[in-house]
Amino acid sequence: MPTLIIDNQTVTVPEGTNVLEAAKRLGIEIPHFCYHEALGSVGACRLCAVEFREGPVKGIQMSCMTPAKDGMVVDTGSAEVLAYRAQVIEWLMTNHPHDCPVCDEGGECQLQDMTVAGGHGIRRYTGPKRTYQNQNLGPFIVHEMNRCIQCYRCVRTYQDYCGGTDFGVLGSRQRLYFGRFSDGPLESPFAGNLVDVCPTGVLTDKTYRFKSRVWDLQEAPSICPHCSLGCAVTPGARYRQLQRRRARLNNQTNGHFICDRGRFGYGYANHPDRPRYPLVGHRRVTWQEALAAMQSKLQELGELFGSGSIGLLTSSRATLETQFLTKRWAAALGSDQLCFEAHPRRDFASRVAASQQLDRSASLEDVRNCDLAVLIGADPLSEAPMLALALRQAARRGARIVIVDPRPVVLPVAFERHAVSVDKFSQLLRGLGRPQQGDFSSSMEELGGSLANALLAAQRPLLIGGTDLLGPQGTQALQHAAKACSQPEKPCRTMFMLTGPNSFGGALLSANGPGFDSLMEGMEQGRIKALLCFEADPLADYPDRKRSRAALARLDMLAVFDCAATATVQESDFFFPTTTVEESVGTLINNEGRMQTFEQVFSAGTPLAESASGSHPPRFFTRDIPGSEPQSAWGILSALMGRSADLDALRREIEKNDHRFAGLSQLKANGEGRRIAIPSQHPESLPLNIASSIGSDQLQLLVTETLYGSELLSSLSPCLQELIPAPFVTVHPQDATRFKLEEGKKVLLGTPMGDLTLTLRIEGDMVPGVAIVPRLRGTVLEPLVPGTESLPCRIEKV
Amino acid sequence: MAMLLSEKQIAQLKRRVRETPHPREMVLDVLHAIQDANGWVSDEGIELAAIILGLSPLQVEEIATFYDKIYRRPVGRKVIHICDSICCWSRGSETLMLRLQQLLGIAAGETTTDGMFTLLPTCCLGACADAPAVRIGKTLYGKVAPEQLETILDGERTEVKS
Repeated sequence: MPTLIIDNQTVTVPEGTNVLEAAKRLGIEIPHFCYHEALGSVGACRLCAVEFREGPVKGIQMSCMTPAKDGMVVDTGSAEVLAYRAQVIEWLMTNHPHDCPVCDEGGECQLQDMTVAGGHGIRRYTGPKRTYQNQNLGPFIVHEMNRCIQCYRCVRTYQDYCGGTDFGVLGSRQRLYFGRFSDGPLESPFAGNLVDVCPTGVLTDKTYRFKSRVWDLQEAPSICPHCSLGCAVTPGARYRQLQRRRARLNNQTNGHFICDRGRFGYGYANHPDRPRYPLVGHRRVTWQEALAAMQSKLQELGELFGSGSIGLLTSSRATLETQFLTKRWAAALGSDQLCFEAHPRRDFASRVAASQQLDRSASLEDVRNCDLAVLIGADPLSEAPMLALALRQAARRGARIVIVDPRPVVLPVAFERHAVSVDKFSQLLRGLGRPQQGDFSSSMEELGGSLANALLAAQRPLLIGGTDLLGPQGTQALQHAAKACSQPEKPCRTMFMLTGPNSFGGALLSANGPGFDSLMEGMEQGRIKALLCFEADPLADYPDRKRSRAALARLDMLAVFDCAATATVQESDFFFPTTTVEESVGTLINNEGRMQTFEQVFSAGTPLAESASGSHPPRFFTRDIPGSEPQSAWGILSALMGRSADLDALRREIEKNDHRFAGLSQLKANGEGRRIAIPSQHPESLPLNIASSIGSDQLQLLVTETLYGSELLSSLSPCLQELIPAPFVTVHPQDATRFKLEEGKKVLLGTPMGDLTLTLRIEGDMVPGVAIVPRLRGTVLEPLVPGTESLPCRIEKV
Repeated sequence: MAMLLSEKQIAQLKRRVRETPHPREMVLDVLHAIQDANGWVSDEGIELAAIILGLSPLQVEEIATFYDKIYRRPVGRKVIHICDSICCWSRGSETLMLRLQQLLGIAAGETTTDGMFTLLPTCCLGACADAPAVRIGKTLYGKVAPEQLETILDGERTEVKS
C-alpha cells in the first residue's frame, strides 16, 4: 500500500494503482483521453502528464503509466505541466475540424472540455487538415473520422473488451483509420459502447443524431428493462420523446458498458401505437369514468360470485412497488388468486432461484472475476447479453468457460463446448452434484462428475444456469450441485438467467401462491370471472396460446394496465395506460437478488415529433399535454385502494411488512443497489415435468430466446426491428439428411401450435433430434414461447 | 479468388497456418505470398488471406495497411523505396528523391508509364549504417550517391528483361 503526496495531499492506495487513479481518490481529475478504467492504460494521448518532484521517478511522466510508489511527490498543475498539456492539445487540434456547432458530441465532448481547460483557444496551425472517407457502420453508429484524435479507445473497447473482429485500426502514423474492412453494419452486439467511449465525435449514436443538445436532455439514473440483469443506464429524453440510452457505471453489475439491445431498445416508449388513453370496451373515456366503471363491475362480480372470482396477474416487467400493491389489493379484495408470472414453468423456476442463500448468488462482477464458469442450458448472448461480456472478461484473465447446451451457442470468447440435449440434463446434474466420486452410471453423469471436480478445484468457481432450459427441477438440481461443489472458504456461486427485470421480486412475493395454471383452470371452469393484469400479457406469455385465448374469452371482465399494445390489451374490456420505466420511479430486483431503484427521466406524453407530425407544434392551446394520461401502475393501484401515491411511505411499508426488503427506503438510484438479505422459502411443490414422447419420425421442438425480437419492449423499438431475422428453424446436419432438407430452403414445421413455414438453417454445433426456433414477436413464430417442456414436432420440405 | 494463388499454394499455406500455434504470426507470410504472385494485394487478396488464416478480413487489413512494403494498390514491377528517416535524410536522401523523380519523370507515389517503377518514400529500411539507402524491388542499395542512380536503374531494368 504505497503512500504518496499529490498536490500537497497525502494518499495511500493499493499496490499497482496508477497515479491518475490515486489522484482521482483525492478528487483531483488529471486530464486524459486514452486512459479508461475498464480498458486500462496505454499512454497514447500524452495528456495525463504530471510532474514528479520526489521519489523513484523524476520530471514529467504520464500519470496513467506510472504506478504509485512510496515517497512520490506529484504536482498535477505545475507551470511546466500545464504548458506541456496545452502543447499536446494543440497538436491534437491540428487535425481536428472546427465543426463543434454541427457535431453531436458537443456538450459531452472530452476533447472540447480539455481544449478549453488546457487554455488552447487560438489555433496557430493554418495548414491543411487530414481528411478521410467515412464508412456506413450500420443502423446504430455514425462514423466521422476527421474528428479522430487516435486515442485507440474504440479499438480497445471493440476488440479487447467486447471481442469484436470487424472493427479495428488501419494504416499507421498520420494515416491511422479506425473502421471496418469495408462498409457494413458492426457485427458485435456491444458495438453501441463505442459511442460512450469515444472522447470526441468520431463515433456517435445514429438513432439520436441531430435530435438534441445534451444539455437540453432530461436525464436520470435508470435501470435497463430488457433482461433480468438490471444493468445501470442513463436514458435521455426531450420533447416528450425518449431519445437515447447510455451506459451508467455500476461496478457490481454491468460495469461501464451495456449491450445494444439495452442501448437501442428504448424506442418502445415513443411507439406510435402505444395506447395512451383509458379505454372501456375500446371506447376512450376519462380516468375517473374508467376506474369507476371497473370498480362497479368488480363489486358486482364480487357480490355475485364471491371474492375468489377475481384473479390478479402481474409480471416480471412490473416494479416491486406494483407487485407489492397488487398483492395488497388482492388481499383487500379478498382474493387468493394472485400470480406474478403468466408462464408457470418460468414462474416456479424463478421461485426456486430466489430461494437460494444469497451469499451464494453471483453478481456480474463475480462473473468477471471467476476462474471457472460452467454454464448449463444457458445462451448468454440471447438471454442476458451482458453476461456474455462478463464471461469474456473472466476468460481474458485466464478463466475456463464451459458451456453445456443443446443449442449452437456463440460467445465473444473461446470456450469449451458440450452439446447435450435437455433430457440428459438430469443425469448431468446428478453427476455435477457428486464431486470426487467414481461410480457413474452414464457418460453424461461422468461429464457432470468431471466438471464437479473442476469446480471443486477452482478458486472462484461459478455455476450458471438458464432457467428456460433447466426448468424448476433443473434449477433446484443446479443449486444442489453448487452446494456439493462448494468448500467453506471458496463457495461455488450460482447465477440464473430469469425471465425479466423483476422476476426475482415477483418470486419473493409469490411465496407459495398459485401458479398461473391454477388461475387458468379457474377461468376455464368459470370460477374466475375477472382477471386484472398489471403490466402482464398472459395471451402472449402463457405457453399455450389457444388455451389462454379460450380461457380469457370466458371471462366476464378483463382489465389490463400496460404501457405497450400487447395481445392481451387488444382483448381487454378495461384498459389503463401505464408509464414506462423511464416515465416513473420504482424498484426492480435483478437475477442475483439486487434491489435497484430508478428515478423518473421525463413525464409521459405523445412525443412532439409525433403530435406535430414533424412540423411546427400544434397552434391550438389546451391545458393538457397530449398523450400524458399514462400513470404508474403502483400509482393507479394506490388510487384504487384510496391511498396517497407516496413513494417513500410505500417503500417504508414494503420494508416493514417484509424484512427481506430491508434497506429499500434508503436506496439511491445512482448507487450499486442492495442485495436482498434473506432468500425466500423454497416453493413447497413444483409443477411436475411432463415429457412428451417423441416419435421416430419426429423432432423435439426447442423454442429459445434470441437477442433481437424475443423480449417484448425492445422488439417494439424501430431501430432494432430491422435486425429481427426472418423466421427460421435450425436443425442438425444428420436430421437435414434424414428429412432430405436443404439449407436456406423453405420447410414446413408441424407444431402443436400449428403448421409454420420457415427458412431452414443447418448447424453442426448442436444436438441432433432437435428443431430449434427462436421466439420472434410479430412473426409467424409469435405463438411459440420459450421455457416450456419439450414438445414433438414434424419437419418436411415445402 | 482462387486465381490469386494456386490451389497448391493455398493448401500449403493452410497447412503452415495449422502448424503455427498463433495464426497471426503467419499474416505477413500469407500476404507476401499473394503479393509475390500478383505484384500487389487486392481487396480479394485480403479476403483470401483471411480465409487461409482463419481471421476476419479486418484483422488481416490491420496488418496489411500498417506495413508500407505490402502494396494495397497496383504498383510497377519494381517499387523504389527511398528512406526519408533521420539518418538517410541527414546524408542527402532528399537529393536522391529529386534525382529519381527527374530520371523517371514521375512524382513520389506514382508509377512510370511503362509500368516499370513505382517511387515511394519510406520511413526506414533498417540500413542506417549505410545511409542514404534505397531499396529497389528486393535489392538494398546503401551509401547511394545521386550520380550512381542512373546506373542502378539501368541495371534494374536489364535484370527484368533478362
